[in-house]
Amino acid sequence: MSNNKLTVVDREGTTHDLEWEPDQSMMEALRDNDLPVLASCGGTASCATCHVFLEQEVFDTLEDRSEDELELLVEAEGYRECGSRLSCQVGFSRDLNGVTVTLAPEE
Amino acid sequence: MHSGTGTPAVLTQDPVVIVGAGHSGVAVAAGLRARGWKGGILLIDAEQELPYERPPLSKELLKDGASDDSAVLRKQKFYADKGIERLAGVAAESIDRDGRAVLLSDGTRQVYHRLVIATGSRARPLTVPGAGLPGVRSLRTRADALELKRLLVPGTRVAIIGAGYIGLEVAAAAAAKGCEVTVLEFQDRVMSRVTSAPVSRHFEQLHGRHGVRFVFGAAVTSIDGVKRAEGVTVADGTAFPADVVLAGIGVLPNQELAADAGLECRDGILVDGDGRTTDPAIYASGDVTRFTSPIDGASQRLECIQNALAQADSVAAHITGQAAAEPEVPWFWTVQHGVRLQTAGVRHPEDQVIVRGEPAGGKFSVVYLRDGSLAAVDTIANLTDFRTAKRLIAQGARIDPVLAEDPAIPLAEAISGTPNHPDADLAAARS
Repeated sequence: MSNNKLTVVDREGTTHDLEWEPDQSMMEALRDNDLPVLASCGGTASCATCHVFLEQEVFDTLEDRSEDELELLVEAEGYRECGSRLSCQVGFSRDLNGVTVTLAPEE
Repeated sequence: MHSGTGTPAVLTQDPVVIVGAGHSGVAVAAGLRARGWKGGILLIDAEQELPYERPPLSKELLKDGASDDSAVLRKQKFYADKGIERLAGVAAESIDRDGRAVLLSDGTRQVYHRLVIATGSRARPLTVPGAGLPGVRSLRTRADALELKRLLVPGTRVAIIGAGYIGLEVAAAAAAKGCEVTVLEFQDRVMSRVTSAPVSRHFEQLHGRHGVRFVFGAAVTSIDGVKRAEGVTVADGTAFPADVVLAGIGVLPNQELAADAGLECRDGILVDGDGRTTDPAIYASGDVTRFTSPIDGASQRLECIQNALAQADSVAAHITGQAAAEPEVPWFWTVQHGVRLQTAGVRHPEDQVIVRGEPAGGKFSVVYLRDGSLAAVDTIANLTDFRTAKRLIAQGARIDPVLAEDPAIPLAEAISGTPNHPDADLAAARS
């Protein structure tokens, strides 16, 4: 499977174009490309340091957030009901090729 | 592969040599590059396989149908891309501090500009008679987990010594696989070191519903058996037959490398807030360290991913001459029978305990107050309180116990009315 393209807007507003590899979660693609995503729980939906905003039309295509993910997100800085995701919970899919994600503010 | 003695394989200048490739060691390596370190980075890894995530070893990995391939911390390509050289299957045997070199089990000598000791911890061994019998296991590495997974088949009688995180996570996995599980605990409740009685009771009941049996006040005196473990005997003479015995009785810091080199250790290598040992060229990071909490001033050795990563960042920052991130409130998690207990802060036994919500409903928090300030929180299937509490602990927020008891009031609004606090009016308005 070929890579996805991923466009990331960092916390300073700078845009980065990355390769998102099929065996990476979205969080891993961000972290392994040196974006400042702490991911201190290793991708288990425990810490919310990989919080990102997706465009609503992309967000709407994804499966619902788990209860753990949602509980962490609603208390997170800048939570968006139809846009906030923990990027560790967003798996690779061809449908996500070329999407833009924005890093949520740090706490 | 490198060879020869006296010539570092990394030919770049100023090599940082990191001993140990667990969460902390790998995070130091990644953090150095992320912070712009241009010198060499050499990761000494006692294990052969690519460095891996540890939390799943006692959880997902043990489940039926779960892949034996555990999640790696970073892909193979990452190390090459970042110029991080990894020596696999090699242990560090001693440090030559005057020569600024570390001597390895393959006979080579690696000169360092800075040395980082991230050797982690090992399972505390059982010392009773019979502890060496086959069938007596501990759980620390991926190899340990895979062996345990192989042993946990339906009908197996499993005796678990110690009702801490590891013991209880394995108890849950074993029960789910149809094993007959008995947990032997010296104290009078589960997880007594890390949580309060209401949380212990909740998890005891949860395990009980899944068929796990607990024996409290159980001082193990021997493991019985001839060719292999056949049971466990406790101080009152009761014998518990078992096919598999798991000891989950805590960990010991792997501090010998440092202690033998004359670095100050006291149940952990002593480090300062930048991760420095008593030798300015040598740092230590993760489970192996003991340090003074920047949050509450306590001397502590923490066994958690959060600390492994936070200290790694402090070390990488200090080596590169940059500012470290703000100290983070330590946090911990365990998942048993699908129920998540997630904790922020370190509770003391004498803290005031406030239960928020109804444990019978399966979802609640316990708030710990010390001199009126929020010191720690346990959230049970209830992450809503987690981040708020973590922030309030960092601020040393004073909490009104009556407000905190009401789960309908957000924790951020349970702050006691102190005139200077921005949330004081809100809290006052509700009281």
